[in-house]
Amino acid sequence: MSLTALSNDQRDALQELTNIAMGQAGASLATLLDEFVDLSVPRIRVVEVVDLPPVLADLVGKTNLVSAVRQSFQGYLRGEAIIIFGEPGCQALADLMGFEGELGESGENELLLDVANVLSGACLGGMMEQIRNFTETNGPAELSFSMPLVMARQVMAEQLIDPQKVQWSHALLLEVNFTIKNRDFIAHLTMLMPEDGIEKIRGIIDEFIAAF
Amino acid sequence: MSLPILVVDDSAMARKMLIKSLPPDWDVEISQAENGVQAIEAYRAGKAAVMFLDLTMPVLDGFGVLEALRKEDLNSMVIVVSADIQPVAQERVMSMGAIAFVKKPVSSELISNVLKQYGVI
Repeated sequence: MSLTALSNDQRDALQELTNIAMGQAGASLATLLDEFVDLSVPRIRVVEVVDLPPVLADLVGKTNLVSAVRQSFQGYLRGEAIIIFGEPGCQALADLMGFEGELGESGENELLLDVANVLSGACLGGMMEQIRNFTETNGPAELSFSMPLVMARQVMAEQLIDPQKVQWSHALLLEVNFTIKNRDFIAHLTMLMPEDGIEKIRGIIDEFIAAF
Repeated sequence: MSLPILVVDDSAMARKMLIKSLPPDWDVEISQAENGVQAIEAYRAGKAAVMFLDLTMPVLDGFGVLEALRKEDLNSMVIVVSADIQPVAQERVMSMGAIAFVKKPVSSELISNVLKQYGVI
């Protein structure tokens, strides 16, 4: 078995953990935008970093233009949250947030940052809550976040990440998406964790499984 | 006779958590389904006097199941068990015939409260 692979049970348990966490993120987004948000079934993959561009394109849609915000987290877990917004949902966002007229690029970026922050904070916060509830963590299971940054506007998903610039060899990729059907809005929340994080997650998941 | 109950969730882990949260002395015969289509089949086979139903699932989601059941005059007590905690989701499932909404992660306390409330136990 490869060092980085997850067993079916581990994948299933991590999927459920993510599902619970995304529910809180979805509820926060629904409150923020005052719309009903459809939640996806979480997708989980262990990928070689060199394969990230096509994998992301596959998750998000190969021909779709996207904008994205990244935010790194560290502490109990370490990794990157990348929130990928499909166009034209970005334009719908200003409308959803109750802004009228042209926002301009900096105004739009600010909206993306706000929404991304809500999603990554609620989702990772939800995950940490489950981890604290179901496992015997050593020391406080806390995360800290970097400032979110707009990493790209209106690019193809394949162009979001340059594997040359990533220090890791493998990544655990979790993806959930939030859609608002009648508004053409979609936001993919992807979380990437490096190989050492995969081992930690595997330990957490095994404890979670053993608790039931 | 044991009460036939159906646990519907795409996650095996989630089904296990739910089954573990059921009252230990409750006389039931438990069936499981991984998606909405399987749930409807099990319901038609009489395996779901009580149904614990997840919302976010592949193939056919929980909303789809409720809609299908409503068309065949819903002869099951459906308790929605979901991580989707939007108030609108709760209102929607209740208006579609679910008797209760339980938020994930489930606990034996949450489950037995609902079952007591509806006189199932």
